[in-house]
Order: sequence, then structure tokens, then C-alpha cells
Amino acid sequence: MTPTRTIIPPTSIVKTMSPGDHAGTANPLRVLWRAFATIWSVPKARIGVAMLGVFVLVAIFAPLLAPYAATDNSFGRSEDMSAAHWLGTTAAGQDVLSQLIYGARVSVFVGFVAGLLSTIIAVLIGLSWGYLRGFAGEVINFIVNLFLVIPALPLMIVIAAYLQNGGIGMIVLVVVITGWAWGARVLRSQTQSLRSRDFVTAAIFSGESPSRIVFREILPNMTSLIVGSFFGASTAAILAEAGLEFLGLGDSTTVSWGTMLFWAQNSNALLTGQWVLLFAPGLCISLLATSMSLINFGVDGLSNPRLREGAKR
Amino acid sequence: MRYTLSKVGLLLLTLWAAVTLNFLLPRLMPGSPADAAIAKLAQNGPVSPSTRAAIEAQLGVPTGSAWDQYLQYLNNVVHFDFGVSYTFFPQSVASLVATALPWTLVLVGFVTIVAFIFGTLLGVLAAWKRGSWLDTLPTVGGTFASAFPYFWTALLLLFFLGYVAGWFPTSGAYSSSATPDFSVAFLLDALYHSILPATTILITSLGGWILGMRSTMINTLGDDYVTFAEANGLHPRTVAIRYAARNAILPNLTSFGLALGGVVGGSLLVERVFNYPGVGYLLYTAVVNQDFPLMQALFLIITISVLLANFIVDILYGILDPRTRR
Amino acid sequence: MKQLRGHILRTAFAVVGVTALLATSACSMNVKNQASGPSDGSLLVAADNGSPTFEKNFNPFSTSKRVATTYMYEPLRVTNTLDGTATPFLATGNTLPDAKTVVYDIRTGVKWSDGTAFTPADVLYTFNLVKATPALDTWGVWQHIESLEVVGDTVVFHLKTEDVPAASIIDQQLIVPEHIWKDVKDPVTWKNEKPVTTGPFVLDTFTANQYTLKKNVDYWQADKVAVEKLVLPAANSQLDVVKNGYDWAYAFITDVEGTWVNADKQHNKYWFPPGGTITLSPNLTRAPYNDVNFRQGLSLALDREKIATDAEQGYVDAAGQSGLLLPNQEAWLNADLPNEGVVAQDKTAALAAFAKAGYTQQGDKMVDASGTQLSINILTANGYTDWLQGLQTVQSQLGALGIDVKLSQPQPAAYTEALSKGDFDIAMNSFGGTGSVFQDMNTLLNSEFATPIGTGTTGNYGRFSDPKVDALLAQLKASTDETEQKAISAQLQTVLYEQLPVISMFYGGLWGLSSDKNFTNWPSEKNAYAPPNTWNSTPLLILTNLKKAK
Repeated sequence: MTPTRTIIPPTSIVKTMSPGDHAGTANPLRVLWRAFATIWSVPKARIGVAMLGVFVLVAIFAPLLAPYAATDNSFGRSEDMSAAHWLGTTAAGQDVLSQLIYGARVSVFVGFVAGLLSTIIAVLIGLSWGYLRGFAGEVINFIVNLFLVIPALPLMIVIAAYLQNGGIGMIVLVVVITGWAWGARVLRSQTQSLRSRDFVTAAIFSGESPSRIVFREILPNMTSLIVGSFFGASTAAILAEAGLEFLGLGDSTTVSWGTMLFWAQNSNALLTGQWVLLFAPGLCISLLATSMSLINFGVDGLSNPRLREGAKR
Repeated sequence: MRYTLSKVGLLLLTLWAAVTLNFLLPRLMPGSPADAAIAKLAQNGPVSPSTRAAIEAQLGVPTGSAWDQYLQYLNNVVHFDFGVSYTFFPQSVASLVATALPWTLVLVGFVTIVAFIFGTLLGVLAAWKRGSWLDTLPTVGGTFASAFPYFWTALLLLFFLGYVAGWFPTSGAYSSSATPDFSVAFLLDALYHSILPATTILITSLGGWILGMRSTMINTLGDDYVTFAEANGLHPRTVAIRYAARNAILPNLTSFGLALGGVVGGSLLVERVFNYPGVGYLLYTAVVNQDFPLMQALFLIITISVLLANFIVDILYGILDPRTRR
Repeated sequence: MKQLRGHILRTAFAVVGVTALLATSACSMNVKNQASGPSDGSLLVAADNGSPTFEKNFNPFSTSKRVATTYMYEPLRVTNTLDGTATPFLATGNTLPDAKTVVYDIRTGVKWSDGTAFTPADVLYTFNLVKATPALDTWGVWQHIESLEVVGDTVVFHLKTEDVPAASIIDQQLIVPEHIWKDVKDPVTWKNEKPVTTGPFVLDTFTANQYTLKKNVDYWQADKVAVEKLVLPAANSQLDVVKNGYDWAYAFITDVEGTWVNADKQHNKYWFPPGGTITLSPNLTRAPYNDVNFRQGLSLALDREKIATDAEQGYVDAAGQSGLLLPNQEAWLNADLPNEGVVAQDKTAALAAFAKAGYTQQGDKMVDASGTQLSINILTANGYTDWLQGLQTVQSQLGALGIDVKLSQPQPAAYTEALSKGDFDIAMNSFGGTGSVFQDMNTLLNSEFATPIGTGTTGNYGRFSDPKVDALLAQLKASTDETEQKAISAQLQTVLYEQLPVISMFYGGLWGLSSDKNFTNWPSEKNAYAPPNTWNSTPLLILTNLKKAK
């Protein structure tokens, strides 16, 4: 989350469980496939999946797609768009299009890794917190609250300044540290509400261990919430990465959309009239983040048929 | 009562932890305030060796053991004494914060409220007219706009509307010749200057409210009591607004509380792009210049405002929805 | 409903319209130069940046004072930092009866802006105030002065040692009025909101977003001041500077021809004289950096022209190894240095030097005797983007020889701390630019600054230490004869050239932008009477030299 952003819970926070969803023991592959089919059935999500796919492919095949190397600064400085440089060149004489293509790698990587890590932490903490009662629960409650109230962007800046000189790894770390708490809180409320459900009570009576109950009975019922918070965390990570790099707190020698914006601002691209330098990376960031939000429209429908698009009430 | 008391206890504990963390965080950063001051001077060319001694003497770099510093700090915090800023030496931190706070509170606070109200209304409309263009346009538009990086929206608005078109001022909270007072002319001037930053925040935050309200609303619209009300022949609009929306707004209040709490610290990037003299810009300056006293005061204010907003929402929630009290 | 739909339709049209506008404007969209500059004798200058607004602080001793404080208070003399020549201000001149004494003739007939007469007692008071309150001693004058006294219209400074360059430091102390400051309780924290000064300007209006200075009509050389009013806004983004018709600005602007000059081709000029030397400073206490052959290898491997071009977009020259700022200090240059001290890239020689230091090329890698690849870690500050761009070129040039170059970019404060404590392998750093050859060389080479690693120092970060050099510096310090000074300086230049305590790369520019639309006679390459910077006392030189444009 660009830390300054209004915090909005994934829509699923208020979701009521529909009875048909206790598919805890189904074949995982089939569950996955069914999930994908459900997502794909939503037109908005379909667009999102397609967009995300394009970005991932661009990131993977960047060396094949980019006309030049991203750091090759042998071209003229601040050139306008031309056949040789479709989006012009930077103030340092690099090809903007090539940088844009290579930049996709960093954003996709950070989005994926940071999103995954913070989701894992959120799941582990959120679920155990939701299940535990008494002192341990209070302690976790306290820690999560603390992370929720500490202003994220300033915290990121301080950490980034402290872990000087880190590149992408540092950014991932910073984003994870500041980004897991919200997901944990959302997952906890869901766990709490699930805990009182019949199938959990049944499991408790049949003598299953708490960890088994949490991870085998409750977890599968929260697939959509977890997938949703993964995409939410990814979006947040992508925006946070861009924000930190824009402030110049990352490693400015990496080629990413955030550093492209940093250098564009630094060399006053607006003044030389090259607003494309500022426009293009920002648009890519927005589109990548949008694709994830669009997919979430489909994810919402996974466990809550009411939210399925086309399913009129 | 028990509910409220336990919430108060948790509030105080979190506050103490946050205050302590505030004490630790700046000290974890490498380099001393004098180093930061010299680094800043060095950007204008090499600094003479004797300057360092003078700067260290002026700033009165913290002395004593870390524990003594911590006790001193706690004592000062209780008395709302945050000392003197290093960056704006010899300005007191309290006066700096007092000047910056109103700008942020008014601008971001106002926009957050407007975005919440407006976004919630659009969300209700979208859920009610589900599938129509009234649904599609705000949802897709909101999704897209809320994916804009804040600073990017700000830069684009600044460039196209500020510089190229020349319609709006590009920097600051009021004209350079004006002195802040409560005259109509000044207020209009301030309003004019706030349009671009306000629009930035509105564009990027509206989508979240629309989506949040829409999905809770869709849920409620499917609930039995709504179906029941409809079956009883109530006008659909009455059902949507009087029954469904009223219940659906509850969960969004939590986010609204957090958003209000986040107002103080939330506008750093926007304020930086527009040179807006608010808390966010001040915080940025403090961090960049290793200004411990200023940083601590700002962190504390931001943390307290989030905590308080959370607390109020929790209490409100307890009143509005008795189930949560348990 | 209908109304709403109409509204949305209109909005949609507006969106389409803006998009079309964007599309037709293709990829270049230039900001128009909208403002016509002031023509009422006022001068708009981008000198002081608010963060983002101004705090009122005109205490001349404070490091966070408003920049224009130095346009109001005057020192005894102002030195043109480009070539070291001094112009008398509150002193009419100084003499050195011996190397331990400086006598300043204090100007008579000068009035403070409140009408009180300025006397040598004010000078005495100022220096004693600084002595009593070390936090005010930003120039470090009391490191040189033993005592001072007023003798008639002169102030006599007795120095601690034979210290000829001390005068150039005493020169710079801004003089404050005794009748005001004697009542100040704490001169360190006093904000001096109503400055009483002797200079060409006095404070006129002040708001958090902008302040103005007006001409001091009673100024002792009022006839030389053509500017009636100075306007200093708090927000001076480069877009503002280009768009709003500034008269004077200090800014590094990308593509200065296409932006600043293009905004007003007839009037807008730029001048970027060297204001310091940017170097790679090896930590001489660490191997292999303590090996002169190794440093030679590094030096010979660099193509300085390319580095200078990449770092500063071709606006500055590559720096030679003499330690001087050329062409301004040409008079001091040791004529025996080949090619004016500039080291050309020579890969063969570099490889030979590395071989002497024990590193040989094996395949495409530079390896030591054990076969490990040579890896060096260069320290720079996060956010110094021009340095970073230069370093990326260094990285690729050394990389071509098979050296693995890593960049370490902590925040500026942490960078300064690492430099000061000697916690680095090799650091990017700048030196020089004070206008005094002695000060430049002394800060760079004196072993007095070479504190043990881990203890802070304020100069000579590489910890260079050589008794012969210390002796030369002491001689230079005590010498009153310019020919002798030049001879000693030449020897020091040879040391720099041969021993490479630092590897000079390129000059740090002073990024002066000026417009001769309203005022002419700005300093320029042909008329380098002052550096173009907007801070410290040198702007006094500019403000007393500008002429109204016809």
C-alpha cells in the first residue's frame, strides 16, 4: 500500500460464509482449478488476469523484447521519441522503452515476493491469533496493533535509511515489515468467526490438535481471503517500492519504474518537455496494480457467491 | 464498562510501546545530527573543519547514557516538551508542529471526509444498480484510480494543470505575498492553493471507499431482512438506503477511523510534491536531516492520532454493534 | 438522474478532450515562460529554499540562518573563492607586520542600519563574543587568534603561531553591532528577527513563503548598489526558476541550453566555474589502497573526460592531479607537471602499475597472487545523483580491466560519519574551493587531521601522513612572500601528482544562472570577479557590481 493510502479492508472482511463452502478435504488441484475457473468467469477478473499475464511475460522475456540494454547510456541525451527510441532517451542517454521493459522485472518481482512473504506472515499470525485465547492472544493482539498504528511510510523511510545501500532485497524487507499487520488482522477476524462454526466444533470434539484444526479445517475455508490479501499485499508492495525509490531511498542504480520516476524528476523531465519519462513508468505501475485489483473482483466471488459478477441477487 | 476499560488499558500499553519505539527508531539511524548538518552544508561545497565543532556545540548533541536519555525523553513527552529542532535550530519543535499541523488537518482531513462520503454514496449506488453503467463506471474507474501512485498523480496534475495550463498555483499553501490570517481573501487564496493537492488525494482514495461500500452493500442486500422488507412492498429505494446501506456502512466505519487517524502522517508524498507546509513535509525534512527531536514529536503525534481514532472507532463499534462487546 | 447523466457525459467529454490534447501535443510539451520579470529595480533570486516555508532566523552565527543574512551583514573582507583575491568591506585593508600579527584598518564613516555609528569596538566585540561562545565560531577564528586589541582606527590580531593564512579566515567573520548584541541573553538561540546591519540591504518584508530585502540607502557604498529590492521566494523548483523569469539562481539544471537559456534566449546566461575537486579518496590505512602503485593503477585506468561528462552532462572539465581549480588558480600551477597535471587514461600503464601492486589480469578478471578477483567498494552518499552517475562510469571503466566495483550509498549523514571515522575503502569526496591554496592543501594533506580510524576527523579523510608534507605546509603557513608561497605550493602539487593521496576526477561546478534582462555585469568567465553562488559573503561582490539594464 502506498503507505499514505487510505486503508481499505479487502472486501472479504465482512464476508459471511455460505454453507456450501466447507470443502476442507477436496483435492487441492481441483480446488485450485475450480478457483481459477470461478475467477475467470468474472469479466473484470478476466481482464485483470490477462493484464497481469502480459506484465509477467514482459518481465520474463525482457532481454528479448527490449531493443537495447537497460543501462546502455551511449545514446544522445534527452532525445524525443523517434524510430530508434520509441519513447525517447533519458537525461543520461538511456533508451526509455528498454528501461520500461526491464523495469517490469523489479515491480513484478517485488510485488510477488513481498506479497507472498507478507501473506505468509499474515496467515501464520492471523490464524494462530484468531484461534488462541488468553494471554498469548493478547500479546499478539498488542504486537499487531503496534504495527498497525506506527505510520508505515515514515517507518519505511527510517528502516530504508538504516538498512542503507540495500537494493531490491531491502525494499522487499521494508515492505514486508510494514505490510503484514493488516492482513493478519483481517484473517484473525475470519478465524474467530469460523472457530464457532459447527465443523470446527466437530473437529475439536473428535480430538484433533489445535494446529491441525487451524491449518486443515479453518485454513482451506479462507482461500479467497488469503488470495485476496496476497493480491492486496502485492499491490501495496508495488506502490510502496515505487514510493521509496521515488524518494531516492532505494538503490538508484537499479532499473525499475520507481527509479525511472526518480531520475525523471531528478533531471527535470518536465522541464525538458519529456513528460513521457514521468508518464510511462507511472502508468505501468498503475496498470500492474489495477490488474491485481481486478483479479480480486473474481477472488471475492470464490467463497461468496453473492459477490459473483452476473449473479443477481 | 469492562469492554471500555480493557480497551483503555490496551490503548495505554500500545502508547507506551509506540513512545519507546519512537525513542529507539531515530537512534538506530546511522550518522549523528551534526553529520547530517554537515552533509547538508557540503552540498554547497566542502565544509571547513572548524564548522563541525561549532555545529556540534550549537546542536548540543545528546549526552548521557541511553537509559538516562530515555528517562529524560519520557519525562519530556509527558510534559509535551519536545525540545529544539536540529534542522530549524533554534526553533522549538512544538512551534514547528503547531504551524504545520493545521494545514494538514484541514486539507487532508477535509478531503478524507469528502472522499468517504462521496465514495460511500457511489458505492451504495453501484451496489443498488448492480451491473448497470452506474456500477461499472465507478467500480472500474475507482479500481484504476486507486492504483495510481500518489506522487505520480500529484506530479501529473502539477505539470498539466499547474504549469502547462497555468490554471492553478504549483506550490505552497497560499500566495507568497500573503500572511496567514482569517480574512476572506486569504481563505480564498488558501482554498485555491489546496485544489491540486486535494484533487490528488481525492482521486487516489475515492476508489477504495466505492469498492468497500459496494461489496458490503451487496452482501447486505442479500440478507433475509432486506428480502423481507422488499417482500413487504417497501419502495426499493427505501430498502436500499434505510435498511441495507445503514447496516453495510458499519464495517466501513472502521476503515474510516483508521483513515482519519492516518490523515496526519498520510500525506507525505503529496505535500512534498506540492511544497505544502504540512506535517508530512515536516516529517520528510526531519528524517532527511536526522532531526531526532522533530522526528520523535511527529512520530508521536501520528501514532497518537491513529491510536485515538482506532480507540474511538472501537468504542463506537461497541455502542453500535453490541455483539462485539461479548 | 437525467442531470447526473448529463454531468457524467460532460465529464466524459472533458476526459476525452484532455486525452486528445495530450495526444496531439506529441511527446514534447514545453512549459511556457509566462512571467515577465520585475522591472522596478527588484531582483528575483532563487537563493533560499524553504522546507517548505521559512522560519525567521537572521542570526549570522546560526547554520540554519536565512541565506540572505549574509547580504545584510558584512565581514572585514570578501574573498573571491575562485582566485583568492580579497575585496575590502568593513576593513579598508590589512597589513602583516610579521607572520604572527595582522592589522586591519577599519573603515570609518560606516553606520549601522539603525543610525548608530560602526566603530572598531564592534569588531572587537564580535570576536570576543565568538571567543566566549564557541558554538558561534563557525569559521574557527579562535583556532588562530591569541588575542586582539583596538588601536586607533585599527584592530590588531595577535596570532597563536606564525600563521599568514589566518587573515583569510579572520576576513570572513561577519561583524555584529555591540549595542544590540550585548543585551542578547543567548546568542546561540537568538533569532535576530530585526537585523541591524551595515550591508547593502536591510530586511523589508517577511512571510513564511517569501521575504524581501530593500536597499540600505545609508550604505557606505550606496552608489554601487543598483538593486532596489531583492525578492527571495521559498519555493524555487527548477520549473519555477525557468518559468517565472528569475534574475539569478543557483541550480544544476539538466540540459541548461534547452531549458534555462531557451526560456529567454536573449538574456538568460549560465556560468559553471569549478568550485571544488571531486575525487576518489582511498583509505590510506588499508591495503591495497596504501600502495602507491595500486593508486596509480586506479588513476591510470580512468577516463576522466568521460566520467566528467557522464556525471555533470559535460558542463565541467576533468580535474588534474595538481589540487588546484583551473583555470582560476592558474597562477599557482606548478609548470613542471606534465599536461597541467591531468592524467590521461592509459590501460597499459595501469596494468603495469597494478602488476607492481601484485594484481594481474587473468582472463577477464584482475586477480591477486592467490587468484581472488580484486573487488573495491566505493562509498558515496545516497541522493548525490551526479556523483552516482560518474561512479557508474568509473564502475564500467574499472570493470573493463576486470575489477569488481561495488557502490555503497548510505544516507548523507551516515556517509559523512563513515568519512569522518575512516570507515571506508575508497570514498567519493570533494575538497578545495576556499580560494586559499593553503587551506585547500592543509585540509587535504595535514597529518594533524589523520586521526586514528574510528575517531572522527574533519579533513584528510584518507589519513595521509608525511612529515615532509607537514613541514611544507608549516612553511607555507608562515610565509609572507608570494613567490615563496608559490614555490612551496608547487612542491605540494608534485606530492599530490606523484603520491596520489586522492585521485582527482572532475571539478564540482558552481551552477550559476543569471539573466541580464533587468541587471547586467553578472560575473562570467571573462569577468570572474566573484563565484556565482548565492550563499556566504561572495554575493556582496555581485550585489555591489550589478548595473541596471538599459
